Order: sequence, then structure tokens, then C-alpha cells
Amino acid sequence: MSSLQRMIMCPVCGGSVIIEHSDQVNLCTYCASPILGPNQNRNCTNHPDTLATEVCHVCKDLICDDCTEKRVGDYGGKLLTIVNCSKESCIAASDWARPLNVEYQRLANMDWADKSDNFILRITGVGAVVMMIFELYFIIGMLNLQYFTPFGSLLPTGGLFPGILVIILMVIGNILAAVLLQTSLQVYVHERQLTSGAFLIVALILEAAYLIWRGLYFNLVQVPDPLFLTILLAAFLFGTMLVFIGSLGAIYIGNKKRIQMNRAMDQLNLSTKSALKEL
Amino acid sequence: MPEENKVYTIFDRPFGLRFIGLLEMSFGAVGLLSTVGLLAALLTGNPEMLDGLGYIYALLIFVGVVIPNLIIGNYVDDLRKNAVIAQIIYSIIAMGLSGFFLAVRGIGYFWTVPLFEIELVLAIGNLAAMIFAAQVFIIMYLVFNWDKAVPPKGAKVVRDRGKARQMKRGLVLSPLAPTLIGSDGTTELTDEDSKRILDVRKVVTVEGMAILCSNCNGATPLTKVQDNRLQCDYCGVTLGISNVFVPCENHAEFLAATTCAVCGNHFCRKCLTAQEPPIDERWKGSTIFVCRTCFEGRYRPAVTTTSFVIPIDELFSTAGARFSSVSRIYRRFLGAYGGAMKHLWRLPLQLLSSLGKGRGSSDNCTGALIMMIIIIIAIPLIAGLLLLVGAIIIIPFLFYAGLVVVTIEAIKVISRTDFQSIDSVRIQSVIKKKTPKVKESTLRSDTRSWEQDFKSKSLAVQRKREIERRERMSRRNQDHSFVGGAGY
Ligand SMILES: [Zn+2]
Ligand SMILES: [Zn+2]
Ligand SMILES: [Zn+2]
Ligand SMILES: [Zn+2]
Ligand SMILES: [Zn+2]
Ligand SMILES: [Zn+2]
Repeated sequence: MSSLQRMIMCPVCGGSVIIEHSDQVNLCTYCASPILGPNQNRNCTNHPDTLATEVCHVCKDLICDDCTEKRVGDYGGKLLTIVNCSKESCIAASDWARPLNVEYQRLANMDWADKSDNFILRITGVGAVVMMIFELYFIIGMLNLQYFTPFGSLLPTGGLFPGILVIILMVIGNILAAVLLQTSLQVYVHERQLTSGAFLIVALILEAAYLIWRGLYFNLVQVPDPLFLTILLAAFLFGTMLVFIGSLGAIYIGNKKRIQMNRAMDQLNLSTKSALKEL
Repeated sequence: MPEENKVYTIFDRPFGLRFIGLLEMSFGAVGLLSTVGLLAALLTGNPEMLDGLGYIYALLIFVGVVIPNLIIGNYVDDLRKNAVIAQIIYSIIAMGLSGFFLAVRGIGYFWTVPLFEIELVLAIGNLAAMIFAAQVFIIMYLVFNWDKAVPPKGAKVVRDRGKARQMKRGLVLSPLAPTLIGSDGTTELTDEDSKRILDVRKVVTVEGMAILCSNCNGATPLTKVQDNRLQCDYCGVTLGISNVFVPCENHAEFLAATTCAVCGNHFCRKCLTAQEPPIDERWKGSTIFVCRTCFEGRYRPAVTTTSFVIPIDELFSTAGARFSSVSRIYRRFLGAYGGAMKHLWRLPLQLLSSLGKGRGSSDNCTGALIMMIIIIIAIPLIAGLLLLVGAIIIIPFLFYAGLVVVTIEAIKVISRTDFQSIDSVRIQSVIKKKTPKVKESTLRSDTRSWEQDFKSKSLAVQRKREIERRERMSRRNQDHSFVGGAGY
């Protein structure tokens, strides 16, 4: 009896659970997770021999896979899964949410790509971060060359005050690196993988060309400190290589996903063609 | 509600405090500007300027004005006691120094700084007087409004804007105190007791599937379940048993704690993270739990979640916002200046006569004349120029600060540190004795279902077809009328 008076702790959040029903689920007072009542059977309400796998969000009955209907509800812009049992009242209560297309979910499942996507994200991400740091180092190095070394007098001024061209060209380089970084993270989103991979390659070519042009324009081969150029080139080559490999991977995997999606749409008669036929 | 239990949010700070923060920040910005200007003048012009002490002055301004003003100014308006104390001490020192300066040099003291072939005349005396007045105002305000500027001891202050907004809606993040709870489920354990429990508890069992304790994270085998509840082997709390007997999707050795709100799969405490619930009256719980995949915003067939977006565009908008608040201050200053000038235009004439008697550092009338010009015309002009140059410095500064932040964010995304499972957060909070912050996924702000995607796609195609059809129709009609016309 003494154990009954103890607080029952929610196994999810640690909040307290007040036992109101002994043969029905009780809700955590904090996170509203359903917790079994002390005498509750763990089997499906409709199929007493089957272990329950879900709880109906409406009536809180335990239900098995056969009795479960899943829906997707739009809660203030967030799409969350709703589970309800096959009772009429429960179906009516979740009617506002759209039913889940289980077959579509199966056909469009992209879990197979998880490993490669993680790998691609890391490769392109690390590469783009290296490029970003490289560009930041580049602008600092160039400002140093411009204002604190005699080499500065050899740099082009464009007829304006010394350093303006260095600053403008370098800031553009920074922005380019930022765009590259932004895009390199998009390869992780299934639906953007293909396009961001292709975009990355274009951006990479742009960045490389722009870098070489800047090096020639500023005549960096003449810089007395050989370490500056070496670090620049090494970092740039490393970053470019990573981003390049990653974006090739993104294009390959992204295309596979595109084909999978198209096939799923066709199989389920969901493609736009079949939709138009119905009209 | 007792005063010390009240939770303060960033929206509770008084307007005066915010003004002081902005004032200090602008002092810092002006200081930064003058450091840069001084250095530029020294480098391009005359290194012997200011009796060869130019570099020392630049260093002094940077260390004594720029750094403290920017740092304190950043924190003083955040309802922080230490920052307010630091501000008062700093203001007293600044007041003392500028007062001393005024006493020694007088109000008519100038610096002549050569800058790109021009000679800039800086009214250092006036500047000192202005600093003196501002610091007096700051000290008076902070001392007289101490109760508003500093929340009472032990009061909780929420500085995060998003969270503060949510606090206004009455949401709390975690029900457990950041200590281990004793076996009765309510008392907080002493440090020794919690350390003992954390040392002996195991996170896996050899006796088959286990339940993870939401208090100490210890794993207790399911075989010990009685009456659908279970006593934790390590801390002794009584755990309820979650709705269904299904193992975690990722860990066959653990019973799932609950389902992911987005994808609906079953997960254990190691695989779930807590998030703010949606703003929707249909949602009753205080939290939602999502798995890593859904937290990361990856596409689920039923639920498309998009945007793995680092807000680079926000960089520009924050920079712009800062800029506009600077210009708002400037506009207010100009208005006040104009108002004051109406009454004060006689002052320079008086100054002129007093200075003409030869007490100031300039020994002829030119100095006084220049000062008159400065007061009436040049100050707003210089302020405008400063504002412009300030913007030229501040916006790139913000831009680059933003780029660094973005890079750090990207590194976080790559190393996946943003996902905090509820069990690791629990232990961290016990160890650090801090209520954990819930990290909202940056990714799920807008979600849409595949059906919406599909619908919009098919709608676009439909519209195109419809337009084509109409074009064909009208062409055929034309053809028709032409043929008909030939008929007779
Ligand atoms: Zn709970
Ligand atoms: Zn039901
Ligand atoms: Zn059933
Ligand atoms: Zn425990
Ligand atoms: Zn999920
Ligand atoms: Zn798990």
C-alpha cells in the first residue's frame, strides 16, 4: 500500500503521473505521455491475444497494428502524426487530419540513403568550412599585405584609394564562400540534394576561377613570403576536393532518389499525368 | 507570488536601461572609430603626432573605452547585476577621468589631427564634458532605478527572446529539478547521494530488455515490472510503464519510452529530444518528443520537413536593424540639438568673449571662432559623418561576425551536436546543476505534406494545360470564322 502512495514518475520526462484509472492509460501531468494503469492489460482492446503497439490518441485505448489508423495533422504549421483506433467516434474526432498513405510512405522511404547522406553532408560541409576559413584567412592576409608590407604599393588601386580593390574583391570572395557553405549543407535535404549538388559544382568552378583570377590580378606569385601562398593553395585544394567529391555523391544519390520518387508516384497513380486524367 | 520566485524576461527591462546599453555601445563604436582614425592618421600622416604618444593614445582608447564600453554595453541592459555594478564602477572612473581632464585642460582644449591632407580639429574638451554628463546620467539612473535594472537575488531571468515570448504564453520547459530525486519521487537528493547513484548505475542490463529511468538514466530490466510499474534499481523512484511494449526503433535492448510526434515511430530516451509544442489549441501536452531524423528535418514520406538552412540572410537584416537603431538615435539627437540651439545660440558668443581673454590652450581668437563653428554647424555634420563612417565600420563588422557565427553553426550541423537526447540532457543538468535549455530544431519551422507538394504541382500543370487549351480554342475559332468567311 505504501508503494501506491508514492509518486509515479513518467518514464519519458520525469513528471508525475496521477493514477485515475487502474485499467486504462493515465496521462503524465507534464508531457501528456500515456502511462499504463496498474491493472491494465497490455493487449489490444479488440484483439485480446495480440500485444498492443499503439494507443488511440482520442479514446486512449490500446490497439494493435490491425486496428490502427494513422493520420497527419497540421498543428499550427507543424505536421505531426496522429494515431486513432477504428471506432467510428475516434475516426470522426481525427477527421480533420489527412489519412496517412501507408503505401506511399513505404515506396518513398529513403532510409537506405541515410549513411551516404551523412557521409556526403560531412564531406561537402567540411570542404565548405575549409573554403570559408580559407577565404577569411585570405582577406586578412591581403589586408596585411596591403597595409603593413611594402608589397602593398605594388597592388592595384583602381585609381581610388589604396586597398579599395583588395577589399571589394575579397569581400566578394567571402560572400561566395558563404553561398558555398550554405549550399553545401542543403545536400542533406532529400528533395534538394540533386539541385544543390549541381549548384555546388557550378559554385565551385566559379570560386576556383575567381580565385585564380584574383591571384593573377594581385600578382601573388611575387609575394616575398612563400608560406602565405603555400597555405592558401593547400587549403584551397583540400577544400575544393572535398566539396567536389561530396557534390558528385550528392548528384548520384539525389538522382537515385528522384527516380525512386517518380516511380512511387507512377505506381500509386499520383503522378500529375494520372491526376489530370481523373479530372 | 513572492518577488524572488517571479521569472523576469527580457521584455521586463525598463526603457532607460535599454537606452544606457545603446549609449554605451555607441560610445564603444565612436571609440573604435577614433582608434581606427588615430591609427590611420599615424600611419598615413605623421608618426610624431601628439608628441609621439599617438600609438599610446590609440591603445588607451581601445583598452579603456572601446573594450569596456562594448562589453558592458552589451550586457548592462540584460538585467544582470554584475554588469550593472561594472557599469557604475566604469562610469565613476570615466566621470572622474573626464572631470580631471576638464579641470586640467579646460573646456577649450583641441587636438589637431592630420588626416589625408586635411587637418581635423577635435574638440576634446567638449567631448570630455559630454562624457562627464553622460556618465553622471548613467550613474544617477542606475542607482535610482536599481530595483528595475537588477532583478532580486535568485530570481530567474529569461534572456532568450523566443523563450521569453513562450514564457508569456505560460510554458515551462522541464518538470524535474536539476538534481536527482529520491525514491519517494519528490525530495531532492544531496550531492553525495546523487554521486553514489550515478557511479553505480548501469545503462545496459544483461537480463534482456530494460527501461531507462527518467531520473537517473539507470537501466532496470523489464522482468521487474509489477502492476505496470517498476522501481528503479539505482535511485529507487517508481516509474510508470509507457503505453506499449515495443522496443526502441534503434535499440532492441530498451523499451520505447514514447513515440516520435512527427514520424510516429517508437523510441527510447536515448533517441528522443524534447521540443516546444506547436502553438495550437488542439495540442494538449507541454512538450513534444521527436527522433533525431525528424529533429534534423529530414524528409519523411508523410511529412515533408524542409530547410536545413543557416540564416545567412538574417545577417544582413540584423546588421540593418542595428543600423536603423543607430540612425533613430541620431534623429532623436538631431531633434534635441535643434531644439537646444534655439536657446543656446548666444552661448558661443559668451564663450568667444571669455576665451578671447586668452585662458584657453589656443592663444588667439581663431580657436574660439572654430569652436563656435563647431558648436553650431560642425557637430551635427560631424555626427552625421561619424554615423556614416560608423555604418561603414559597423556593418562589415557585423557581417564578418555573422560569417564566423555561420561557420560555427555549420560546424555544429556537421558534427551533429545540436541533437540532445533527453537522457543525456538529464544527466548533464544533474552534473551541472542547471535547468537544461531545450534546443529547438532550426529545421522544422515550416513543414508541408507531400499532398500539398503534389497538389501544387498538378495545379501548375493544370493551369498550363488550361491556358494551352484556350489558346488552341481561340485559334480554332479564328480558323473557323476564316473558313466560314470564305463560304460566302
Ligand atoms: Zn511525462
Ligand atoms: Zn479510439
Ligand atoms: Zn487490434
Ligand atoms: Zn533511477
Ligand atoms: Zn521521428
Ligand atoms: Zn533508442
